[in-house]
Amino acid sequence: MDRKKYKKLRVVVTFFVGAIVTLAVVRNSYLLATAGVLTGMVFMILVRAKAKIRTDEREKTIQEKAANLTYAIFAPTLGIGAFLLLLPSKGGISVFRNGEWLYIESLGMVFAYLTLFLIVVYAISYNFLNRKYGGGGSEE
Amino acid sequence: MKNKLKVYRAMHSLTQEQLADKIGVTRQTIIAIESDKYLPSLGLAFKMAKLFKVAIEDIFIYEKKGAEDED
Repeated sequence: MDRKKYKKLRVVVTFFVGAIVTLAVVRNSYLLATAGVLTGMVFMILVRAKAKIRTDEREKTIQEKAANLTYAIFAPTLGIGAFLLLLPSKGGISVFRNGEWLYIESLGMVFAYLTLFLIVVYAISYNFLNRKYGGGGSEE
Repeated sequence: MKNKLKVYRAMHSLTQEQLADKIGVTRQTIIAIESDKYLPSLGLAFKMAKLFKVAIEDIFIYEKKGAEDED
């Protein structure tokens, strides 16, 4: 199997998994969604291993830059989103006084913790990789 | 950074696919290197130099101007 066929197959599997998840949402079935996603993942791992699809250094560089860009966009967006969702409830705006729109505050809390989690994971992985690639600074 | 990869590939009568197979990368990477859109790692540059039996600096020519921007 060459790369083009592999990419086509990946698109087909993605649509298949998407359809299964949609069906699972309609039927309100967590099990179906989990099974669909896991089946898709296992199938792609097996195909990738069998076809010996090569991931070279250029692709790794692209993946690194894409991950970096995703972090640079996602973390501030999530942080600002959390701030904007939490701000009105703390500001004493009337609509929040009666306990209505309480879920907005909860959503803000979830966003805030997600932002924190993202930053912590980034910091830990940065430190780990920094040490791995000799950035410990212990050598003279 | 300029390179003469296309010239050396032609000298050795290799297609992009054949060269990619020999040095363990994809054809897209060879295309990107030949069109100066991607700078290969030192390891890959050594592989190319070894394959063509030349020095790295025979294939890759360092140009100071704008070199810092090519990241």
